[in-house]
Amino acid sequence: MSRPLEDILFGDPGPEAQTTTRAVSMTAAAVLLLLAMGVVMRFHGAGQFEARLWKFFAWPTTWAFLASGLLGTLASAAMAAVIALALGLVLLLGRLSPLRLARYPSIAVIEFLRGVPTLLLIYVCFLVLPSAGIKLSTYWMLTLPIALSTAAVVAEVYRAGVLAVPRGQTDAARSLGLTEAQVFFLIVFPQALRYIVPALVAQLVIVVKDTTFGYVVTYGELMQNAKVLIANYHALVPVYLVVAVLYCLVNYAISKASRRLGRPMH
Amino acid sequence: MGSVSRLLADYGPAFGQALLLTWKLTAVSFVAGFALGLAVTVLRLFPLRPLRFVLTGYVEIFRNIPSAALLIFIVFALPDLQVLIDYEPSVILTLTLVCSAFTADYLRAGINTVDGGQVEAALSLGMRPMRIISAVILPQALRAVVQPMTSLLIALMLSTSLASQVPFPGRELTALVAKIANDSAAGMPAFAVAAALYVATGLLIAWAGATLEKKVRILR
Repeated sequence: MSRPLEDILFGDPGPEAQTTTRAVSMTAAAVLLLLAMGVVMRFHGAGQFEARLWKFFAWPTTWAFLASGLLGTLASAAMAAVIALALGLVLLLGRLSPLRLARYPSIAVIEFLRGVPTLLLIYVCFLVLPSAGIKLSTYWMLTLPIALSTAAVVAEVYRAGVLAVPRGQTDAARSLGLTEAQVFFLIVFPQALRYIVPALVAQLVIVVKDTTFGYVVTYGELMQNAKVLIANYHALVPVYLVVAVLYCLVNYAISKASRRLGRPMH
Repeated sequence: MGSVSRLLADYGPAFGQALLLTWKLTAVSFVAGFALGLAVTVLRLFPLRPLRFVLTGYVEIFRNIPSAALLIFIVFALPDLQVLIDYEPSVILTLTLVCSAFTADYLRAGINTVDGGQVEAALSLGMRPMRIISAVILPQALRAVVQPMTSLLIALMLSTSLASQVPFPGRELTALVAKIANDSAAGMPAFAVAAALYVATGLLIAWAGATLEKKVRILR
């Protein structure tokens, strides 16, 4: 019963159906191949295969520069993620608090940070705060806004996990005489975390994507370094293609890891 | 409060236009992205290996690439390949591609909620696969993905702020705030107004999604 639906839909075809499937597959492959050739021809026609546009990829300095950009991306993303995980917990505790004085402001902060584009927050740190006398480094101009908007999302993810923990766990812990803080930090939260690991990792992918905006504040992450390379070699298409592949690889690896972590643990 | 009213006196109509443009970019790219994602999902069901392979690649690429990188590629690199797309269509194309990849991903999860026994039952009634997809699988899958699609729509609405990265004549909310902050000292109130408009739009979408979800939810 656990066969994928498409196997049931088209499963066990007779010889005639097999022939049809094979013919259509071949046609599809041919069409896709033609499309790919069209793209290659377009590259060729536009002179994008000229050696001067690609030869600098053979130099170690190019890759060292891209690697330093990737390192900048990861430095910003890692810091933003750590802050978001911690601040998200604070917001969650406020959100779950029985005190209205803690709950309502927490809800307001979460809805505000969640509802505003990260890019807009970056512009505030970049354009508005300096006129108020607050000057951040480019690293923080990028990292702080990402951390703040991610914290709000993480708080909601935490909450979904906490709500998924069976009530009996809380009741049993209370009946053992644990304090409210112990019930939360020893019993409820660790279990909640197990439910939400995939969602948290998915959020990490979004953090990495958001660091692309580093070029807005000229912080040296991958995208910004790509721009510098382009300014030097005038090779827009090759550099952007390589950078796109790098981003896809990093993020694909992260979401692959999340699928593994997300598998049931028992 | 006084600074906000002064700001609205100066830039009120600009904020109205910016909000409308934000809504328009969101709506157009969501409708196009949803349709494209639906098509990808259905095509991925067919037992055609090369097609499945390429479409899986398509979904993984556009799910994992940062939208900003994609937009910059479309706007600045494609002209080098003699493909010229105007600024606004470029933004819409970027958001559409990303939206379609996530739609395909969520719909696939929605399809997995449909019991295989239903497909077997439909086959035994003599229904053709295409008819089963359109009459049995998709209606249930679509009803199962209302909640993630609502989140996607909100994320897409926030992503329209990308449009501030390319110089097209209309200004959406983020570009307007950047311009006001550049031109005057009214950056903070401008940010407050834009943030309020974004949050309100997001809450409106969330409310509509929750209402729809309540109507179409399948209780198993």
